[in-house]
Amino acid sequence: MVLTTAAVVNTLLISAMYIVAALGFAFLMNVMGFINFSHGAIYMLAGYICYQLAVVYGLNLWLSFSLSVIIISASGLFLERFCFRYATGNLDRMIIITIAIILILENSINVTVGAYVRSLPSFAPGILKFLTFSFATDKLLTLVICGVLLAVIIGFTRRTKYGLQMQAVSQNLEAAALQGINVHRISAIACAMACGMAAVAGCLMGALFNLSAFMGDNMLVKALELVILGGIGSVGGILFAGLLIGAIDAVVPLFSSGAVGQVIGLAIIIIILLFRPQGFFGREFE
Amino acid sequence: MFIIDRQLAGADKKLARLSTYGGIIIVLALLPLLVRSPYVVYVFTTTFIYIVATVSLRTVTISGQYPLAHGAFMGIGAYTSAVTAKLLGWPVGLTIPLGGVAAMLIGALIAYPFARLRAFYYAMVSLFFGIGVIQVIFVLTKWTSGSGGLVDIPHLLPSTSRVPYYYFFLGFMVICLFALWRFEYSRIGLSLKAIAQSHLVASSVGINEVRYRVLALSVGCFFVGLAGAGYAHYNFTLSPTSFDFLASMWLFIYALIGGLGSFGGPIVGAALLIIVPELLSGLKQFIPFISAAILLIIFYVLHDGLISLPRVIGTWYKKGKPGTADITEAS
Repeated sequence: MVLTTAAVVNTLLISAMYIVAALGFAFLMNVMGFINFSHGAIYMLAGYICYQLAVVYGLNLWLSFSLSVIIISASGLFLERFCFRYATGNLDRMIIITIAIILILENSINVTVGAYVRSLPSFAPGILKFLTFSFATDKLLTLVICGVLLAVIIGFTRRTKYGLQMQAVSQNLEAAALQGINVHRISAIACAMACGMAAVAGCLMGALFNLSAFMGDNMLVKALELVILGGIGSVGGILFAGLLIGAIDAVVPLFSSGAVGQVIGLAIIIIILLFRPQGFFGREFE
Repeated sequence: MFIIDRQLAGADKKLARLSTYGGIIIVLALLPLLVRSPYVVYVFTTTFIYIVATVSLRTVTISGQYPLAHGAFMGIGAYTSAVTAKLLGWPVGLTIPLGGVAAMLIGALIAYPFARLRAFYYAMVSLFFGIGVIQVIFVLTKWTSGSGGLVDIPHLLPSTSRVPYYYFFLGFMVICLFALWRFEYSRIGLSLKAIAQSHLVASSVGINEVRYRVLALSVGCFFVGLAGAGYAHYNFTLSPTSFDFLASMWLFIYALIGGLGSFGGPIVGAALLIIVPELLSGLKQFIPFISAAILLIIFYVLHDGLISLPRVIGTWYKKGKPGTADITEAS
């Protein structure tokens, strides 16, 4: 029973992290048609900025968390204007620019902070007891933050003016531009939001687990898996794929080694994609 | 008369090109005699191996497929050869071709189901496959030593000096490049390029798309497997991280830097991105920054890769001042 609750909580937790990171990735892919392979590096950088502010400069943890998200979002605007805009629609150029960003960010961290593994202090230390179960408070808090963020993002895309414009751009760029939507502005907003979501995931992940200069590579692969498996252009698909992959990642290591779990997960994903290349709920990506 | 002139000009061009290639090979052959540094010899030998890997990647891309698992196939070749040579004690001369064949067989096996997918989806699924291969290496710790790395791999040549290896891999590279060049400029290569341009038109004129795509991937994987096997018996140690997701990306980057559009591009790209950072930098940690700088230059200035540098300079020279260029184009 204890093992089951642990598995459920871990599944939800890992899924929530993956979903928040992958949603940012999917935003860029949907709106700009840009596959941001440097999403993992941005996510890693956010964790380190939060660490620098909170631990080295001694700021309040929540303040440094917000500052980190704001800084990364602002840098997303810069990235959109000077890097991503010149690469949309061409996989070769996307790979060149994002690998350059990955190299610069990961090695800057590696050279300055060093390759040692760091960890952020816990956002909410303590244990919450409920009936016979006990949960770590920071895990529950992470779940709440992720849930609220998801609700806000979905509300934003469905209700607000910019969210609707974003949907229009992702459906048909030319038609949206003809209706007077400023496509570049919408791309910039999408990019800032994508980087912000990566930052939230990075900070929370840094508090729950560890920070390392190369932690982004793993998250990038997970984000790719979620987005491709769930289907491009579908938030529900990402949620579903996130729960599925989170479950595989949380449950399989209980019975076997981590590598076996990875192999099984990847095999399942490849087989699903061979029969449904557009993912569970998605449309074709051109 | 006109035709003969053109033929003569063509023959002259061919001769000039052949003599250029011959000159490059002779310079490379003389290099260990002129430069006595073992480090330089080591860097160049590694470069030869990676050039074969990168050009074999291009062989796959001319059929319109984006193989983001090519580093993993290099790993399959390397581990097959190293494990059979070390644990079974087979002679290295046998295990290196075996590494190539193993990579080719696995490549052909996955190519059939993967032929359903195109462009972006093919790239993503092959990327997941590559990550899966690395995880399999971790799972088979009994044979591959997992993340600790495989050490004491039998030597290829009975020599402690690096110079014989240099000549061996120079010859290896020349032979492989010639084979891949013949493959690309054969009838098969033409069919592959047709598939890349439009698979519907290609299949309507009787090109079997699936068969040719499988063939392209098999040939590419065979050569990258050979290169990986050579790498194993040249470095004597193997680690799964040399063949992970980023390694596959790097092979792709080498090709993109040089220019995927021509046969020479991947060669130039691999040579530049391996040799320049290694020789320029005394500090190992700063190598990635040099690579990143090269990538940014390619991204913002040379869109078609480094191979287009002479052409770009030529157009600048013809246009004269940058300010006047727009006017002449508009008129």
